[in-house]
Amino acid sequence: MSEEVLVSIRNLHATANGTPILKGIDLDLRAGEVHAVMGPNGSGKSTLSNVLVGKPGYEVTKGEILFRGKNLLEMEPEIRAREGVFLAFQYPVEIPGVANNYFLRTAVNAARAHRGLDPLDAMDFLSLLREKMKIVEMPDDMMKRAINEGFSGGEKKRNEILQMLLLEPDFCILDETDSGLDIDALRIVAGGVNRMRSPERAMLVITHYQRLLDYVVPDRVHVLSKGRIVRSGDKDLALELEEKGYGWIETGDAAGARS
Amino acid sequence: MSPALESLARLALARARDAAPAWIERLREEAAVVAREQGLPSRRLEAWKGTSLAKLEALDFVRVGPGAEPARPDAQPARARATAETPDDAIELVFVDGRFEAFASRTTDLPEGVSVRSLAELLVSEPEALEGRLGTLAEPKGPSLVALQTSWLEDGAVVAIDRDVQLATPIRLRFLATADAADAPSAAFPRLLVVAGRGSQATLFQDFACEGDAPGLTNFVAELHIEAGARLEAIELQRETAPRVHVTQTHARLERDARLDSTVLSLGTGLVRSELSVALAEPGAETRMAGFFLGREDGHVDHYTTVDHAAPHCTSVEEYRGVLDDHSKGVFRGRVIVRPGAQKTDAKQSNPNLLLSDRATIDTKPQLEIYADDVKASHGSTIGQLDAEALFFLRARGIDEARARLMLTRAFAHSVVDGVGEAAIREELRERVDAALATTHGALDAEESV
Repeated sequence: MSEEVLVSIRNLHATANGTPILKGIDLDLRAGEVHAVMGPNGSGKSTLSNVLVGKPGYEVTKGEILFRGKNLLEMEPEIRAREGVFLAFQYPVEIPGVANNYFLRTAVNAARAHRGLDPLDAMDFLSLLREKMKIVEMPDDMMKRAINEGFSGGEKKRNEILQMLLLEPDFCILDETDSGLDIDALRIVAGGVNRMRSPERAMLVITHYQRLLDYVVPDRVHVLSKGRIVRSGDKDLALELEEKGYGWIETGDAAGARS
Repeated sequence: MSPALESLARLALARARDAAPAWIERLREEAAVVAREQGLPSRRLEAWKGTSLAKLEALDFVRVGPGAEPARPDAQPARARATAETPDDAIELVFVDGRFEAFASRTTDLPEGVSVRSLAELLVSEPEALEGRLGTLAEPKGPSLVALQTSWLEDGAVVAIDRDVQLATPIRLRFLATADAADAPSAAFPRLLVVAGRGSQATLFQDFACEGDAPGLTNFVAELHIEAGARLEAIELQRETAPRVHVTQTHARLERDARLDSTVLSLGTGLVRSELSVALAEPGAETRMAGFFLGREDGHVDHYTTVDHAAPHCTSVEEYRGVLDDHSKGVFRGRVIVRPGAQKTDAKQSNPNLLLSDRATIDTKPQLEIYADDVKASHGSTIGQLDAEALFFLRARGIDEARARLMLTRAFAHSVVDGVGEAAIREELRERVDAALATTHGALDAEESV
């Protein structure tokens, strides 16, 4: 495993629409690592992912996030994306009237331009797209349709993974990607995620349940409660949580067990 | 009288007389009297609250109709360009400043049962074909510019589709205005009469453009008679540029089980007043009225629509979408009249608007007048900015904000264009819409970035 710290979150405090949510998060992700963040509803999991990608409505009040040593918080959302930060959304938005394939090519070429590469023409893009679509088992006609319009919950999540496969980000954040998936869709999504695992990349898998972690086995597991990481451990911690529930964390004894 | 009406009256006295029959001459003269008495509509009138014609009133017109005659067809680049974009097998009529230009038009090899001719020619050669049709739907009265237009009733297009004829090729009408500073202000008064015979089917594309940047007026009147069971798709594209004033008044009447699919696009930059009035006169008639308007710079776009449910079991679905940028102003009035006895009426109307700038305004008002009790009627207008979630999603995928805004604005407009049934015209309209939107706020940065 590489020693290089790719993402460094230090003493991160953030508010969502003025309400304090994150109250001091410290987390380092090294290249090649997969970290899972688990926690009950309202613990700050989604706020953490939204702050990482710069969603409006969230304000960082203290602390910093470094990505490859650069201050992430100073970058516009589109620059973070082009630098290689990617969030697979919990609730992917439907955008009527914007064709999926046109959107994807625009996004891929924006990232390429950022890296000083020539844009892909329609033909080259199409062959790249076909290759990645196979991985998430998406039929051709979904590309001509508007972004996520009329897609089932599973199709939307597969579309998120497709975007990740095309954009090849170095820091992938998955926000409750497993929620609402049946077992087949979960297998496909997990397959796509595992394809992205590499010694150069880091992943942050945010989830409420252990389910996805059976397929995407994490190197580290962190438990988030009331805006703080209250416990960290290896993959066994996820199993322990599954067994005992979050109540166990939120009662006093978790504090003493912080690792 | 305003300088505009005074100068037009002076020009009317000087014009050459044609050999039109007495009833046409009477129609013109009566219209001229009404136009003089009424003057141009003022903002005191309910139907004109949103739009002032003060700019038009001040114009001292020096000509009506075409400027100097070209020595040969290709001597006039504007005329040649007007036809350059059209496929070879098209049926096309070209009008320059309201006057039919035979050399630039393609009206030969028409299928049997289809007649596409110039009004000027018909007024002389076959005026009986116009009787009971011309001037009957768009009556020269009321607060409009129809009376003024009718007083200049000279030329335009007359389209007749015989019973049960299905015309696959769209009929294209290109109305080009020349706005040379040398002989401005000028006015054009083109006219359109359509008779879609029983059970017939046809597509009509009307394209209004201008060359030059001198002030002027295009005042257009269309009458669409759609007989029982006929289907007509009518597409109107307005792309005249400031400071020209564009006024258009379309009146359609649908008989039993007839259908009108209307798409109106206002992409120009000047002052636009566009009136569309659809009478569902007999049971089972159906109309879809789609519109898209774009306001830029100090442009002013006013769409005044009326659907008259005069018979039971008729359906109307109307959606006009507006995008307003810079300090432009949009006006939308959607009148829906349901007459006594027009039971089982189904009338839907909506007017969503996007404001791209803080200084842009929209004045939107539905106007429902319902006198029957077994009716489904809905309406809604919205004024908003782009969807923040969608905008963020695109940015989170690396697309810069300006381009993301443009993508979403285009999508908003395309939903209107996508309803056009004729594929080649739909493509042309998409390109026109994209080109127009590319000049809006922030869009220019977007073009450079990807």
